[in-house]
Amino acid sequence: MFIDIDCNQVKKYNQNAFGDYFISKRYPDEAKLIAVLSDGLGSGIKANILSCMTATMLLKFVEKQEIPIRQAAEIVMNSLPVCKVRKISYSTFSIIDVNDEGDAKIIEEGNPEFLWIRNGEIMTPPYETIPSKTFKNRCLKSYKIKLELGDRLIFCSDGVTQCGLGNGRLKLGLRREGLIHLVLAKLNEEPEISSSELSAYIIRQAKNIETERLPKDDISACVLYFREPRTSLIFTGPPFNQKKDNEYAKIFQDFKGKKAICGGTTANLISRELNLPITMDKEISIGKLPSCSYMEGVDLVTEGILTLTETLECLEEGNLDIDNAAGKLIKFLLDSDCINFMVGAKLNQAHYNPALPVEIEIRKNIIKKMAAVLQDKYFKKVSVQYI
Amino acid sequence: MEKISVKVCLGTTCFVMGSANLQELIDIVPAKYGDKVDVSGVPCLGLCATDWEFSKAPYVKVDNEVIKEANVEKVLAAIDEKLAKRQ
Repeated sequence: MFIDIDCNQVKKYNQNAFGDYFISKRYPDEAKLIAVLSDGLGSGIKANILSCMTATMLLKFVEKQEIPIRQAAEIVMNSLPVCKVRKISYSTFSIIDVNDEGDAKIIEEGNPEFLWIRNGEIMTPPYETIPSKTFKNRCLKSYKIKLELGDRLIFCSDGVTQCGLGNGRLKLGLRREGLIHLVLAKLNEEPEISSSELSAYIIRQAKNIETERLPKDDISACVLYFREPRTSLIFTGPPFNQKKDNEYAKIFQDFKGKKAICGGTTANLISRELNLPITMDKEISIGKLPSCSYMEGVDLVTEGILTLTETLECLEEGNLDIDNAAGKLIKFLLDSDCINFMVGAKLNQAHYNPALPVEIEIRKNIIKKMAAVLQDKYFKKVSVQYI
Repeated sequence: MEKISVKVCLGTTCFVMGSANLQELIDIVPAKYGDKVDVSGVPCLGLCATDWEFSKAPYVKVDNEVIKEANVEKVLAAIDEKLAKRQ
């Protein structure tokens, strides 16, 4: 199973920093993922520091399996100081450790209970309560659940459940019931919605419910969706050993999933080896990039270095909606869960001509950076093979 | 009569060396020659890799003739020449 995870947030109005903090990391070797959502007391910078520290420390504790998740959560719960003004703990958190088989361990302290949705219904998982040894009013909720294909988990900060508090329509805010209603209605409408879109939807709705659309607290929603992975393969650059062209072209042909080619020479190579004609777009350039070409059985064919460079830049900046070849490649990448790169190591000496702009980078470097940003920022599973 | 084919190389080298500026051929050529000439981009002609020491990109092919350091004028001149030979 693939775990599609994303989190969207809005800040409390008039604040410059997010008071909730979300962190997630995949561990491809162990086929698992850990995510933490923490809500810092108050708002702005102070809350940001508190939640950031809580979330990153929890992740660090748990990730190398040096401390079991439950013990790590207990240590944090027992150590969090009490705010002098409000007499409650400095931050709340939810942590999930889940593997690709669907075995999930979840621990919550202070955050609203997560939603577990299966086939359009809310599941009620059993949990164990672990009281704090040092603070009377604190306790952890510890869950061990087995997830199935199609299940969704939704974690949110109290900014979601309490949005609209005190306004005319919802005197007590959206609450858990309101959130359930909202999410189930959306899932009924779009059963296959991605985590990124669903979390964005929850945030948008929560903001709309607030009086004058001004959030009175930081609002965060983190969604996990367990589904079949959407795999893709990107072939870029001709192989170092030309004798192997045919072998790699066959691998490309036999791949089950979406396919893209980034590079003119690579496109010619595939066209020659597989005897597939290439047709071009009517335009020469769109934006500052060469236009795309088309090949039967291939979902996207673009130029190489320039397109990859712009794609990387846009992915890093989060500027995802652009109308050129890079925009198409971004969409291709973001619509995939497991992305495989086949990177040809052959160099084109013409690219080292000093007359060319310095932005022309070595393909391997671009792909290395792109793999990192796709993994860390967009939570994709990425593998890179140099050929 | 067979159409004259104009292929503009859109490989990385050619594109940054000037084929990006040949976009106007897409509009000019049909207006000037009607359907006698066909212009399109090609992923890469592979010429920069063989001719790189001289760095004559961008390359355009008009039928089988390679135009080095191509610009709109050179391409139009090559088309005119081909058409003149045919008559």
